[in-house]
Amino acid sequence: MAIITISRGSYSKGKEVAEEVASALGYECVSREVLLDASDRFNIPEMRLVRAIHDAPSILERLGREKQAYIAYIRCALARRARKDNVVYHGLAGHLLLKGIPHVLKVRIISDLEDRVKSEMERERMNEQEARSLILRDDEERRRWTRTLFGLDPWDSALYDLVLHIRKLTVADAAALICKAAKLKQFETTREARQKMDDLVVACEVKAAFVEEYTDVGVVCEFGNVLIYCKSGERIEHKLQEKAKKLTREISGVHHMEVHCGIPAPARAV
Amino acid sequence: MQPLTTEMILVMGMIGLAVFLFIVEWVRVDVVAILMMVALPLLHLVTPKEAFIGLSSNAVVSIIAVIIIGAGLDKTGIINRLVTPIVRLAGNSPSRIVIAISLTVAGISSFMQNVGAAALFLPAVQRVSKALKIPISKLLMPIGFSAILGGTVTLVGSSPLILLNDLTAQFKLKPFGLFDVTPIGLGLVVSGIGCFILFGRFILPQGSETSMEETGKEEISTLLQQIGEAYELKTPDEFTHYRDPVRIEDIRRRYLVNVVAVMEPPDFKVMSPTADMEVRSGVDLVVYGEEKDVRRMAEQEGMILKNSIEVFRNEVTEGASGTVEAVVAPRSPLAGKTLKQVDLQDRFRVTPLAIYRHGESYRAEIGDLVLGVGDAILIHGTWKRLQALQAEKSLLFTTPVDVDLMRPEKAVFAAFWLVTALIMILVFKIQLSVCLMTGALGMIVTKVLSIDEAYQSVDWRTIFLLAGLIPLGIATEKTGTAAWIAHTVLNAIGTVSPIVLFSIIGVLSTVFTLVISNVGATVLLVPLVVNMAIAAHADPRMAALVVGLATSNSFILPTHQVNALYMGPGRYRSVDFMKAGAVVSVVFLIVMIGMMYVFYGV
Repeated sequence: MAIITISRGSYSKGKEVAEEVASALGYECVSREVLLDASDRFNIPEMRLVRAIHDAPSILERLGREKQAYIAYIRCALARRARKDNVVYHGLAGHLLLKGIPHVLKVRIISDLEDRVKSEMERERMNEQEARSLILRDDEERRRWTRTLFGLDPWDSALYDLVLHIRKLTVADAAALICKAAKLKQFETTREARQKMDDLVVACEVKAAFVEEYTDVGVVCEFGNVLIYCKSGERIEHKLQEKAKKLTREISGVHHMEVHCGIPAPARAV
Repeated sequence: MQPLTTEMILVMGMIGLAVFLFIVEWVRVDVVAILMMVALPLLHLVTPKEAFIGLSSNAVVSIIAVIIIGAGLDKTGIINRLVTPIVRLAGNSPSRIVIAISLTVAGISSFMQNVGAAALFLPAVQRVSKALKIPISKLLMPIGFSAILGGTVTLVGSSPLILLNDLTAQFKLKPFGLFDVTPIGLGLVVSGIGCFILFGRFILPQGSETSMEETGKEEISTLLQQIGEAYELKTPDEFTHYRDPVRIEDIRRRYLVNVVAVMEPPDFKVMSPTADMEVRSGVDLVVYGEEKDVRRMAEQEGMILKNSIEVFRNEVTEGASGTVEAVVAPRSPLAGKTLKQVDLQDRFRVTPLAIYRHGESYRAEIGDLVLGVGDAILIHGTWKRLQALQAEKSLLFTTPVDVDLMRPEKAVFAAFWLVTALIMILVFKIQLSVCLMTGALGMIVTKVLSIDEAYQSVDWRTIFLLAGLIPLGIATEKTGTAAWIAHTVLNAIGTVSPIVLFSIIGVLSTVFTLVISNVGATVLLVPLVVNMAIAAHADPRMAALVVGLATSNSFILPTHQVNALYMGPGRYRSVDFMKAGAVVSVVFLIVMIGMMYVFYGV
């Protein structure tokens, strides 16, 4: 009845929690599947997609278009998965990529650094110092990624509905709490919620179709009416319009499409 | 030849600055002119008296009077009444319609500001296009070009020609008479229209005839379809329970349906509700939209669609309210703003339904589009409120709604005063500005238009653009800069025959008028070319005349106001102007030089 996104640091037991929630609720549990979908559909090697969603953009990349494009592809794949409903997603940035959807339960799983270091040492067979610096670096990388792309701090608890600390709470406790929350009325898939999810999928599809050529387009979709914003140049307006007309026929669920050039995209745009 | 002095360098610097500002448009062109008006006396390049002499010049007074006379003619609806018989005369053939309307526009434009004449005909041409199913792009460009060309038929037709006598006065040249340019002007008009009749299918937008017809038809039909029809709905009593508030603008964005009237219980009726008004439970609302969209909305939002208009049957009738297409006028205060900023809904209580621009329609979100000259907006409202909007003059309506404001019974007086002014010019040879002002005064005294309306019609931007640039011309001449440049240029090109020199001047003026305004080009070039002509032993009067005429040769880029105005409604792109404009511009230069050769023996 809901979409659950679980955000986590490495070795924070997030995956275990996600799997347990999925099996308890009978939901599908996805993470890498999304990347595989995107890789398949847009013909991009999975490794590049992993890098795009994991590593913070370097200064050069911030100017470039590649990473933006990859993220749009991943978002598109994720939105399509999420539309099927009853999904637990424990990959990166789910709570950010599915913004504006009312029936998404956003969970953050954290655990103590010492525990994480221990798990990493066990799994990767490395010494403590190596493990610690690897985890710290990884956390820092995530932080920069979210900052540069979304202007947010992943450690800001206000981004989530639920932040669970795995220490006193076991994985099973955490899963039980999440299951209980997911059954609340607020996370029911209402008709409005389904509409918003459908709109997000359409917006993501349109954005994915545009992003390779025009990185700075923002797409908003409401009840099948798509608005494409492009801040730069009214010179390319004509080209965008041609493309939009083609897409109106190609993408299902599009009712009407408009291109607004020279106008910055609103915050809710994909 | 004089050596180069500091003053000359300063003047050239100021010219350079003016041209630069004209091109980059950091400030508006009239502000650049005022800047010149102030900077030149400060640099001691002209005396303070000379700096402001432009304001009292013959040219400026003539322009003011021409604008008032034009406004008077407009007020009486003479021009609107001209269109119907002309179209009937022309029949159904597109070529004949183009010829008939173009000649009329050219005739009117020869006594009015070009853009004013073009604006007057825009609604009529749109109606003709719709009625006879001729693509609008086939009509507007020839007509727009004729409006510009018509400006060359008399000495009061365009600003450069009005300026001419003032600029040549300092050289003690014999002033031009009102109809001295007429043979050349007529030649230009005829050849311009001829270009479109002969080569229309090659130079007008979009190659094949059939695709043009199709797109033309498609545009008209979708235009009507997209507005849709009026439907009345009711929200149930539990409409607002357990949901986010639904606002008027949400409905438009989600379903492409426009709410034009709302009645809150018990009987509080609001026409054209504002975008942020919330739709509550138990209200009746009238919407405009396509049936499928309205049905989709009713289903999704849980509204009840009524079979007919019930509550608003008195308000939503053809007699009380309607939809009009309005075009953003040149120099309209609306240009450069968004509908959200302008807020027509709040100020005039009318509802914008859609925007058409460059052949694209915008319906889902129109509040954030930056309006440009020539954008067409579909607006719904009661006739009374639409009239108030029209009276503001920032929009040109395709369907006239201000029948009350017109004074058709004064047409005789308007015509009488126009003829009087012309007789004074032609028969009694009184100075242009005095004759025209007499005509303008006559119209005010006989109540064709009130003095306030006369003041309001005067476009101060044109006045200051003219008046501000005149001192620049004076400075160029007084400091000897013009003579210096002329000699330098002549030394560079060597000895040439007058006809070659005039051709070069013609090309030069054409280039200047495309990048800086026609007035700017005239003011800068006239002192220059007069000096050149004197040095090359050609007729300086003719050289000045070439500038005055060729600065109307502005067709290749949509920079001329008329072209800018017609660009949107005609769904033209810059490329279209380049294609047709290039041909017309070349023909213009050839015909101009040829006619001068024949009539003035240059």
